[in-house]
Order: sequence, then structure tokens, then C-alpha cells
Amino acid sequence: MRGDIRDINSGKNAGTPENGVPRRLAAIVAGDISGYSRLMQLDEEGTHARVRRLERDLIEPTIREHHGRLIKTTGDGFIAIFDSPVEAVRCGIVIQQNMIGRNTALSKAQWIEYRIGINLGDVIIDTDDVFGDGVNVAARLEGLADPGEVFISGGIYEQIKHKIVCGYESLGDRKVKNITDPVRVYRVLPDPSAFKRRRVQKRGVVIVSLSLIVLVLAGGVLWYLTMQTRSRLPRVAFKSTPSEQAASSSHAAKSSALTSTAANSTTPTTPSAPVNETAAQQSAKVPDTSPTAAPTVAAVPPAATPVPQAAPPPPMEPEMVPLPGGSFTMGSNEDPSERPVHEVTVKRFAIGKYPVSIREWNQCAAAKACPFTASGPDDAPAGNLSWSDAKQFTAWLAGTTGKAYRLPTEAEWEYAARAGTRTRYWWGDQLMPDVASCKNCTQVASNDPPSKVGAFKPNPFGLHDMGGTVDQWVEDCFHKNYQGAPNDGSAWRDDGCTSHVLRSGSWRNDARYVRPSNRDGYDTQVRYPTHGFRVALTL
Amino acid sequence: MTMTRRKVLQAAVLLLPGPAIATRTAFAKGKPAPKDAVLYFVWPQDGTVIKGAFWCRFGLRNMGVTHAGDDFHNSGHHHLLIDVNEPLNPDEPIPQDKSHLHFGAGQTEARIELPPGKHTLQLVLGDADHFPFVPPVISKKITVRIR
Repeated sequence: MRGDIRDINSGKNAGTPENGVPRRLAAIVAGDISGYSRLMQLDEEGTHARVRRLERDLIEPTIREHHGRLIKTTGDGFIAIFDSPVEAVRCGIVIQQNMIGRNTALSKAQWIEYRIGINLGDVIIDTDDVFGDGVNVAARLEGLADPGEVFISGGIYEQIKHKIVCGYESLGDRKVKNITDPVRVYRVLPDPSAFKRRRVQKRGVVIVSLSLIVLVLAGGVLWYLTMQTRSRLPRVAFKSTPSEQAASSSHAAKSSALTSTAANSTTPTTPSAPVNETAAQQSAKVPDTSPTAAPTVAAVPPAATPVPQAAPPPPMEPEMVPLPGGSFTMGSNEDPSERPVHEVTVKRFAIGKYPVSIREWNQCAAAKACPFTASGPDDAPAGNLSWSDAKQFTAWLAGTTGKAYRLPTEAEWEYAARAGTRTRYWWGDQLMPDVASCKNCTQVASNDPPSKVGAFKPNPFGLHDMGGTVDQWVEDCFHKNYQGAPNDGSAWRDDGCTSHVLRSGSWRNDARYVRPSNRDGYDTQVRYPTHGFRVALTL
Repeated sequence: MTMTRRKVLQAAVLLLPGPAIATRTAFAKGKPAPKDAVLYFVWPQDGTVIKGAFWCRFGLRNMGVTHAGDDFHNSGHHHLLIDVNEPLNPDEPIPQDKSHLHFGAGQTEARIELPPGKHTLQLVLGDADHFPFVPPVISKKITVRIR
């Protein structure tokens, strides 16, 4: 007999009573602004505002994009932790490169420059702080670093040396305050050839600054020209519909780093103009290759291109089925994750008749609001999607249509899947052949991905593929069981949870997974071929 | 207008030196793994008797751990197989279900709770697209007993 797994904890939300203090290995990034007190003396309110803006527009999103967690910000610095040393170092580099771009428009006295130290260490994570030797070493490394540089410890170096194409300059073993053993220190040079270049740095500086001047001049001319064009355009060009604004705001996090640069160095811009967003997004997609370039250039054109564009045709919306509200019994005793069985009342809502298809997904990709174009038959369910991908789609759909599209909550999903039934499956207690797409559930055995949605009979609510076909993301954070779950049909959310709930099972799972009460969790940011979703709509 | 802006951006990318960081490219089935890669359990060991839930710790030598989706050379992410007897299909992504646990965020440990009795545990390293490496990087299958 095969045993079920009662509890899976990825170690992210560590902290179980029998385990004592939650410890984990993490890459710790410590950053602080060099000469912060000098800047504060110069302009207290201005500096404070600039630093806050930097944290909001650059530090926080960059850490998030690299799957890190911002533990705290101090007046002039921050501490973040990452699972992956590679991501930690990339994050450090992106921040530093972006700062170069931001500073170029300012006089040297006004530069904000971060020093960044990164160390790998065993840490204790509290709700809003992190402790341990490892954190102290990261802070000391940061103290050793020159403004604008990233210093890493030997431990980090060993993990990343073959993975990030960078130059690393060994600075030998350094004794650091209050740490017994000396720490091996490396300076990160964002581009490998920089190692040699450091020797002829002076010449390099001249060349770089010359090219920057040329760029800024060219940018200035361009800006001037486009400003001319803009002033000739009717004012209507600046107005975007509420739905467009919503669409663009959903990408604000991604593109804010760039648009805000624009705001810094030019006149107050119109960040809501939808055209800007796509541009900023495109450039935001390549932060790894052009972090120095993008901000300098982006400073000019985004402000200048609110050209009236032919509105794109409205998207083909997923077919929705409105459901009356009601109470139902959620959960089962078949698997520990489905306990305790409890009564839940959901409000009326509508849910997609099918999982989102490749055709529907690709409309979002074509609008540059979803991260990639899926390949496969148009009618096949879209797969290989992370929870974050699914959220991007619903945000885009809600934005372009102006309707309250979203992911269903876990309770709504099960309510819709049960469709008023209380049996093991919606069609009864016994598995029947050819009622759902799952492993060994069809008469003709097949391991191929489903070629279209809705290939099997609908449940009593008229919904297809509520069980089997593709796993479906819902809004809720994953919890190992229903202990403490809400009973009003709302989503069970936690701040910063790292895994979300999957429902339905897929064509690669056996019949146990097709049950309407079956549930599983998976890392929020990770894609897997069998994972898709369907949308819901608040009525 | 959009064209002009894009060109300016491209030009700027060419002009200024930026860090060349590998991004994800097209995928093939199963990335090659170094011959000396070793995947093993730091804890528990074969035959360990455990009371209640436990932290399972994954060890990997001569390769690196990264996120699923990140296509770095010689690195992958962990999968823990619990009571799995079917052989692994090298031409398919490692399954995702309650006996094939994925650690695509680069986790190197997991809190596991199993019903009392004997259970087998085995680690498999997956590449960016969850395929096993070639040759597969796989740990010894260990047996633990939960009291």
C-alpha cells in the first residue's frame, strides 16, 4: 500500500514547534548608501524622498524579480535574502548598473551610490528581521566595498563562478570586525573584460563619459523633436481609458524602474500613457544585458511618444458560466490535505466554461502583457504557466475589458467542480472510462497533451475539464490542510507566500487527482507543462 | 515612433558595455550532466528510523542548484520521489504529483511528514524544463521507517 504524504513544507515558511528555531541557508544581500549623512546634510527632504523612491522603484522590484525577499530597509540601506546565490548576485549587479544610469544625469555631489555585500550563510529568520553571523559578514563586506561596487564572500564565489559571466577580482582574505575567521573577498566586475580594463580605467572613463555625453545629447535632440510633435498633437492623446490605465498599472512594478527614471530627469511625465508601458516593458525585459543603457535612453523617449494608436481590437473573452451562490461541503477524508471537511458559502460568480486556451493566452502575449507566446493547437489548454503567469493574464483581461476578471478562489473552484454533487467524482463514486482526461482514465491509453479543451462531457453546471486535462491555479496560498481556512468562499492569502494551490489534476495524473476535492501546492514562480488555469469573474 | 525608440534602445545596448548574463534559450530533452555529479541525502540516511515529521536535506556535488526555468550550465533543481517504483522516463518531464515533489525554487531541504511505516525516498535532479539530465543525476533510493 502506498502511503500518502501528510505535510510538505518547502522550508520557506519554516518554523514548526518541534523543530525549534527556523534556520536556513540563504544568500544575504546587504546594501547601503555611501555618504548618506553628507547627502542628508545637503538636502534632507529631497534625499529622503529620492531614497524612498529608489527603494520603491528599483530595490524592491529588482529583489522580487530575482525571487528574493526584502527583509528590511534601514534609513540608508536594506537587507534581502535569496535562495539562490546566482540570483542574489544578479540582483546586486542589476541594482548597481541601474544606479549608474540614474546618476549620470546628476552632478557628482548628488549621486546616490550603493555599496553591496553578499554572503552565503546559515541564518535565523524572524518575521521582520534576519539574524546570524552570515548577516554580519554580509554587512562587513558591504562596508569594505567601494561605492557602486558589489563585494561577495568566498562562499558565494564558489557557487556562482561558473554560472554568471562576470569578472571576479580576488581581494584575498580579509579580517572583519567581530568575526573570528578571516573572510575571502571578491570584487564583482559586471563584465569579464572589465578585469583588464581596470588597469586602463582612466582612459575607459573618458571614453564612457564621452559616449554618455553623445547619447545624452542625442537623446536630448530626440526629446526636443518629439516634444515638438507632442505639442502638435491633440490633448486627447494623453487620455487613456480606465481600463487601459488598469492594464498599465498591472505592469507598473516591472516597468516602474524605467519610467521613474524618466520622471527623474525630465518633466513630470504621463506614466499612464499605454504606449509608454510597452516600451518600458520591452526594455525591462532585458535588464541583464542593458541595465546601464536602458535608463539613460529610456529617460527620453517614453515621455515623448503618446502618439494616438489605433485601439487594438477587444480581446475574445473566455466563455463564462454564471453560477448562483450557495453553500456546499468542501474537502474530503480521502487525503490529509483535504481535511477537515467543512461547510463553505460562496457568493454568485461566473467561471470559465473551459480552461484558458492557447488562443486566449496568446492574445495576451501578443499584447505584450503576458511573458511568452505558447505553441500548440489554438484550442488546446494553455500550459507551462506559473501562478504569476496566470495572474498576469487575468490582470490583462480585466484591464482591457474593464470587467472584474480574476482567478477563482479555491472554494469557488471546488464549488464549481462539485456542481451540487457530493460524490467522489461529479459523475458518481466510481471511475468511468472516457469522462475525463487523466492517466489510465481513457479506453485508448495516451500520454499526449490534450489537443483541445472541452473534449469530455461537462459537469452538471455545464463546465468542462473540472478535473483532469490541465492542473488549474487558483488564487489561494497553499496550506497543508483546511485548519483555519475561511468559510465565506474568499481566497486564503498570506503575505509573501511562496506556493499556491493547484486544482483539477492533469492528463498525466491518475484518477485520484480528478476528484473535485483533490488539491496540491506548487511554487508560485515555477512553470510546469501540465499547469494551466481558468478565469473567474465577480458578478 | 515606436520603431525609432526601439532602434535607439538597440543602439544604446550596442554602445554601452553591459553584463552578458545567460538567458534561457531553446530547450532540448535532457541537458548533459557531468559524469562526476553526485546526488545524495544529507539526511536522513538509509535505514533511519524517524519519529514524526522531519527535515529532508538534499546534497549535490559537482553541479549547482538553481531555479526551474533557469538554464545555467551544469545546474538543476531537486525532485524528491516518495514510494515511487515506476522507472523514470528520460524523455518526459519528471511527473508532478503527491509522490513526485518539486523544488523548483532552488530549495535544498524540505519538511516531510509521512504516515507511519516504511517509505522509500529518492532524489532526481531536473533541468530547467524538469527533464532528467543525461545521464540522469539520481540518488540512491533509501528506505526510512516512520514510527
